[in-house]
Amino acid sequence: MAVDLDRCTGCEACVTACRTENNVRIAGPEQSARGRAIAWIRVERYYEGEFPDVRVKFRPVMCQQCDAAPCEPVCPTFASHHTDEGLNAQVYNRCIGTRYCANACPYNVRFFNFGNPVWDRPLELSLNPDVSLREVGVVEKCTFCVQRIHAGKEQAKAENRELKDGEIQPACVQSCPTSALVFGDLNDPESAVSRLSRSSRGTKLLDDLGTLPKVTYLKRYE
Amino acid sequence: MNEQKINDDLLRPLRRTSVWFFIMVAFLGTIILVGFGSWIYQMWNGLAVAGIRYPIFWAFYITNFVFWIGISHAGTLISAILRLVNATWRRPVTRCAEVITVFALMIGALFPIIHLGRPWLFFWLMPYPSERQIWPNLRSPLAWDFFAISTYLTGSTLFLFLPIIPDFALMRDQMTGWRRRIYGALALGWQGTTKQWHRLEAAMQIMAIAIVPVAISVHTIVSFDFSMSPVPMWHSTVFGPYFVAGAIFSGIAGLILAMAVLRKVLHLEEYLHPLHFQNLGKLLLLMSLLWGYFTFVERLTTWYGNSPAEMAVFWETQTGSYAPLFWTMVFCNFVIPFPLLAIRRLRTITGTVIASSTIVVGMWIERFLIVVPSLARKNLPYTWASYRPQPVEIMITIATFAAMTLLYTLFAKAVPIISIWELKVGGHRQPVLTPEQEEEHRELWRTRP
Amino acid sequence: MKAIYGLYSDPDSAQHAVESLRHAGVADDAITVMASQPYEEYEFSHRYKQTWLFWIAAGGGVLGLLAGLTVAYITETFWPLVTGGMPIVSWWPNIIIMFELTMLGAILATVVSLLVMTELPTIRSKIYDPGISEGKILVAVENPPDSEIPALERTFKASGIAEVKSV
Repeated sequence: MAVDLDRCTGCEACVTACRTENNVRIAGPEQSARGRAIAWIRVERYYEGEFPDVRVKFRPVMCQQCDAAPCEPVCPTFASHHTDEGLNAQVYNRCIGTRYCANACPYNVRFFNFGNPVWDRPLELSLNPDVSLREVGVVEKCTFCVQRIHAGKEQAKAENRELKDGEIQPACVQSCPTSALVFGDLNDPESAVSRLSRSSRGTKLLDDLGTLPKVTYLKRYE
Repeated sequence: MNEQKINDDLLRPLRRTSVWFFIMVAFLGTIILVGFGSWIYQMWNGLAVAGIRYPIFWAFYITNFVFWIGISHAGTLISAILRLVNATWRRPVTRCAEVITVFALMIGALFPIIHLGRPWLFFWLMPYPSERQIWPNLRSPLAWDFFAISTYLTGSTLFLFLPIIPDFALMRDQMTGWRRRIYGALALGWQGTTKQWHRLEAAMQIMAIAIVPVAISVHTIVSFDFSMSPVPMWHSTVFGPYFVAGAIFSGIAGLILAMAVLRKVLHLEEYLHPLHFQNLGKLLLLMSLLWGYFTFVERLTTWYGNSPAEMAVFWETQTGSYAPLFWTMVFCNFVIPFPLLAIRRLRTITGTVIASSTIVVGMWIERFLIVVPSLARKNLPYTWASYRPQPVEIMITIATFAAMTLLYTLFAKAVPIISIWELKVGGHRQPVLTPEQEEEHRELWRTRP
Repeated sequence: MKAIYGLYSDPDSAQHAVESLRHAGVADDAITVMASQPYEEYEFSHRYKQTWLFWIAAGGGVLGLLAGLTVAYITETFWPLVTGGMPIVSWWPNIIIMFELTMLGAILATVVSLLVMTELPTIRSKIYDPGISEGKILVAVENPPDSEIPALERTFKASGIAEVKSV
């Protein structure tokens, strides 16, 4: 994935779309104040300067699907591991909730279910049937909408064709009004995301930690 | 001191029970029940009732885990190492110490279960052949924890139990009624032949040699829970030795406290002498200096490294919101104990007990300051947060202290807390045999059929 | 189980008794000495000092090491899941598992061998006297031929104790 920080307006449409697509539980105001809110993608805000010359910088942060993910070797039950496609998988059934992965993640993109999911009526009608609900005590995180990836691949296979670049879009990518988020196949050097990753504006978040993240952030034009 | 007096003095707590015993048991039992109830409440309602939050996912329970595993290093040091170097003053102290190890380990090993999100599935940490043939991830430090703690618990339980067998035989002979039957069963038919004594002592020697590396590895592996992740100020190469030194430090302090209480309550003034407290006090001073050394080295390296993520945590503990706790810890672990333990006139039983009490508090705070500030100030400042403990966590913490005290009290009621036969052996005159005499004795038993 | 024995109140007289039994022609492995403490500095206590136990513990350690290797290799290759870019079977974490199981093997081998060697827990009846717990030392001749019993009684009495018991 590539994130163009120059285009991001901080509107948080991605956050809303992600939560709806992936059945992220609602924490409520009291629990959120106690730090139990879950947002698989969040938009970080950093303020610079004094009023009235304040500048705000937005940075959407989601799971970086690191190639050398620090969250993977520390999970004692293999709930967190690397798939052949290069995604960092979180297997809810296998998670016993030690939260070691959540501590080890330097990007803090892993979240723990402090309670069972509850949706007030009629919100349960908006649940996505393609995504399982997580019970209390399980760690969850952004999966790059793996259900959409699988659905897209199966569609292409059924129609006997290759996947087109840009055909599979996670919920955040689909909902971004400025197309700041770009998703694709990094193995294909001609895909949009590969070209953007090679851009001179491209940086990786916390890349001195050696996690080899897959998300490239494109710096703002100054 | 004649043998019958030793028997009488050390078996008196087993024979006579005062009303205070029952009051203690009732009081501690109530606290433990409330703690257990808190745990059930937490399991029912989920960890939302605890104070942990994003991103501080480990707090009180892991602090307690590291603390209790640390306390468990008392027995190993005293029993095993002193046995290996033939320090005779260890004799009255060994069983007190070994008991601390076993019970502290049991309590410490509970905490990885208590802090789990789905504790009913804790058995997935054990390597057992499941239907789907999926095993624990042996690359995870938590899997190493399982192996290390089980080995250490097995080893120290056996290390405790084996030398009690001759004392069980003594109790079988000197007691009557249902006690005689139970101790008779536990004595396993021990007679006390020369062969049995030699084998027992050889086995104790081997176990002492084996248990020391195991103990060091256990707390090193507990330190790996932290140092194997890229969290600022956790990812430190000094964590292994730092944790082991801190464990032995808090363990000796716990032992001194236990011994002082036993001496008072069970009237063991003739067996636990000020010399024992002085010697342990010297060891405690050594460990205090070692702990101070490690803390200084770790902080100095961090400060010179000037890595932004680490400096955020560093300043938070030195001058920020965790500073009061940090400076209390330094005060408790170093400033107060140092004069009390270094100046011989102050190194009395009272002095060592005061020093040990502050050290136990200080080491608990140290574990807390290792776990929480680093998680509260991780790499991305947008996610910084602060932690406040909730009643559930506080109650469970208090309950474990009560559990330790209760288990210890019950043990001292059932088994003599000072090893009777080892104490008597210490009173033998030791004729020094020349090498020729030794060889002659060996020949005697070898050449005759 | 037949035996004839005497109880001595201090180790010196027990040593004297053992020597007089030897002079009377009793074989060394027929003499049994029991006490409530080990009397390492006395000669009667030097029998059985040699032991294989250290080798058995080392053997147990080797078995534990092999168990660790096996557990690590088999469990890691059953579900070869990549974690953190690390190799599937990596030496560093495996060494830790191997070490722990080595020590566990040594410890368990020691304890099991101890119980076997000392014949604990006992099933068949053995000689014993509660006087041992009062600090007395028991010197016995186990299973003496009937013809020798009066001679043995005399030897025991000559070594200066009040009573001789037989069971």
